[in-house]
Amino acid sequence: MALNVLVVDDSAVMRKMIVRTLRLSGLPLGEVYEAGNGKEGLDALREHWVDLALIDINMPVMTGEEMIDRVRQNPETADLSVIVVSTDCSETRIEMLQKKGAGFVHKPFTPEGLRETISHLTGVAHDEQTGEGTLQGSGPDF
Amino acid sequence: MTSKLEKELYRAAVLTFEELGLMLPTPDVNEEQQKAATEATVTIPFDGPFSGRLVVTICGDVLGGLAANMLGEDEASAHEHRDDALGEIGNVICGNILPRIAGARDVFDLRPPYITEHKEPRSEGEIHPPAATAHVGFDSGRADLALYVDSGAVTISVECNR
Repeated sequence: MALNVLVVDDSAVMRKMIVRTLRLSGLPLGEVYEAGNGKEGLDALREHWVDLALIDINMPVMTGEEMIDRVRQNPETADLSVIVVSTDCSETRIEMLQKKGAGFVHKPFTPEGLRETISHLTGVAHDEQTGEGTLQGSGPDF
Repeated sequence: MTSKLEKELYRAAVLTFEELGLMLPTPDVNEEQQKAATEATVTIPFDGPFSGRLVVTICGDVLGGLAANMLGEDEASAHEHRDDALGEIGNVICGNILPRIAGARDVFDLRPPYITEHKEPRSEGEIHPPAATAHVGFDSGRADLALYVDSGAVTISVECNR
């Protein structure tokens, strides 16, 4: 079962790095969409089915925090799995993001670290034997 | 004598260049590296319990390889992303150093990085020296870092063992 992922970061380089890391992580990937700020991210969510959003915090036009608030306010996206990928490691901010139901990955990150956070949040894991994605028991119902 | 703050700045820079840029620093900055010409400078302004900016200057022939490493492409393909790559390096260094000097619970807002091709001119507002500097050597050049804190800011102390 493949994950459709949205990557939201104002840095094109960082978006490419995240996508590359996702592919190296071994998790089953479907479509990968990119957006340069929170507003573009919301537009992408309106147009595409997304299972997981990886979102930066500090972005122009609309920040990651504001985007997450809008996502949670919309019944169609309220349950979207969200992981914040940021340099910001303030405990205050991380706690606030966790209250919004978001996971957190600190930059710089490794494929293993990203995979672990994604697996924990989505319940999807990489099956090392078959190379396919599997749903762990603690994951959401599909 | 190198201050604790400067050691933390150096540590944050080395970590970022190694893990994000896949570039290993040389043990020190030799004469040739010191003479390397400036390639580009990135400034990352920040606001929070105190405000200021981090300035990272890349010298020599570092930027092309850095962007290529980050993108997993050859230097020619990565050329158009060099400024973006440097901006992201600066962002990550800044994001990592600020909690070390302010505290784990303090929240900072980093503003978008901006690139200049020369060292930052010291003509904007009050001229004051940086709170900390660090220098990281690479095979093909070096990176100079300077952390500026606006005047009137709180006393900075470095937290240990975070």
